[in-house]
Amino acid sequence: MPSVKAITFTCITASEVRVSGLPIHFSGFARSDGRVGVRNYLVVLSSVALVNRWAELVASAVPEARVVAGEFMRGLRSPDALRQERASEALVTHPNVGACLVLCHDAASARLWRKYLADCGRPHAVLALMDQAGMEAAVGAGRQILSRLDDVRRTVERVPCPIGALTLALECGGSDPTSALVANPAIGLVVDALIGAGGGAIVSETVEFVGAEEPVRDRCPSAQLAARLLGAIAAAEERMEEDGERYRGVNPTAENIEAGLTTLIEKSMGAVAKTGSRPFAGLLQFGETPATPGLYLMDTPFFSPCSITGMVAAGAQITMFGLGVFNPSGNPLAPTIKVCGNPMTAARWRDAIDVDLSEVLAQRLSLDQAAQRLGESLVETAAGRETQAERWREGQFIVPKTLTPL
Amino acid sequence: MSEIERAHVVVDARDNVTTLLDEGIDLCRLQGGLKVAPGIAFGHKAALRAIAEGEAVIKYGVAIGRATRAIGQGDHVHVHNCV
Repeated sequence: MPSVKAITFTCITASEVRVSGLPIHFSGFARSDGRVGVRNYLVVLSSVALVNRWAELVASAVPEARVVAGEFMRGLRSPDALRQERASEALVTHPNVGACLVLCHDAASARLWRKYLADCGRPHAVLALMDQAGMEAAVGAGRQILSRLDDVRRTVERVPCPIGALTLALECGGSDPTSALVANPAIGLVVDALIGAGGGAIVSETVEFVGAEEPVRDRCPSAQLAARLLGAIAAAEERMEEDGERYRGVNPTAENIEAGLTTLIEKSMGAVAKTGSRPFAGLLQFGETPATPGLYLMDTPFFSPCSITGMVAAGAQITMFGLGVFNPSGNPLAPTIKVCGNPMTAARWRDAIDVDLSEVLAQRLSLDQAAQRLGESLVETAAGRETQAERWREGQFIVPKTLTPL
Repeated sequence: MSEIERAHVVVDARDNVTTLLDEGIDLCRLQGGLKVAPGIAFGHKAALRAIAEGEAVIKYGVAIGRATRAIGQGDHVHVHNCV
């Protein structure tokens, strides 16, 4: 066989490369619960979909207000009800939230929310639609309170916070073969550096670890943890197979296949690269907050708006999002840093990508230089620089349901 | 960069496929001299050697799938011949 003189990439296993220069501190918001925010968002939570429109109308009066609204519904069965309740509670008290207005439908749920938020340590208010007299009055009342919350929120200032207080949500979307070569390994190097500084990272989308069991097992410090992680991956694979459906075109998705990814294992090998080289610290359920710093796998569906919702609910302040072909997803409560290694995508989506690393493929940029650039972007974003997904107000909240609602 | 040879990357020494890194889909030679079928898009894979039906398709040093039919050296490897 003729020898193939291809470009030599060492990036897949470049564990010895380190991102130097992550500062010890960044400028953030110190919350009374000890957590640290990278934003001081004004949030309107629609606690049940019945009041989604009310929330939109109220929030539209304050340009900076962000609506947290999902398909939050009644009639869910446990554990779906519990998951939805915990996720909405966690989202509204996220460290990036500077002040929140919670909108409810009935007075009883408003009382529960007031009780829950009593010790949340930041300006808040709760209103029930049933306590109002007509839509116009309801919208007016909401806007008045929101404006007051906005004034109080603005008095909070950034202070030096340890970089190790950050937890990253790790995501990849629109994966293509460059994801595994550039964007994801660059993210992995930054993750290694952040965890080295005492920080944390959460990766999710369990089914995208099918085929990458070996690298996961190798990075589990105990047989028990390996069994838990591999058990979650095996369960995801079983679910995929048990109904006899063909999942090609679902995952890998149609755009993955068009971009050149053939199988789920090929995709998984790229997905795992964004986790870096540190050992796994544990397995989390959807929205569960990690107890210690380090790297966690959260067991979630693979649809990115849903998995990001889970990681943000767990407290992740920033999402690192590796792109091959373009994927718009973001989250209204956590800035999303879009990282791209595909030169065509980077050129076409310049106004929606934050860090263009496509020079790596042309060999004009080494992977550790790429990671350095990404690390700088992380610190600037943490300190307040608006990301493209924030500018476009991208993002949804999707909490998975496992049972047919009542 | 050569104007007659296609840029590509073999991720792991054990791989039997390589990933094309340019848009020179009319060219029929890879950097290093191996022949390649025309028409293979950026990011897609070409076989570095003949792969028999049922044989593993190896990328990153791991079996990412199996050939569903015989694949010739330099052929496009994708969903039409690999699962």
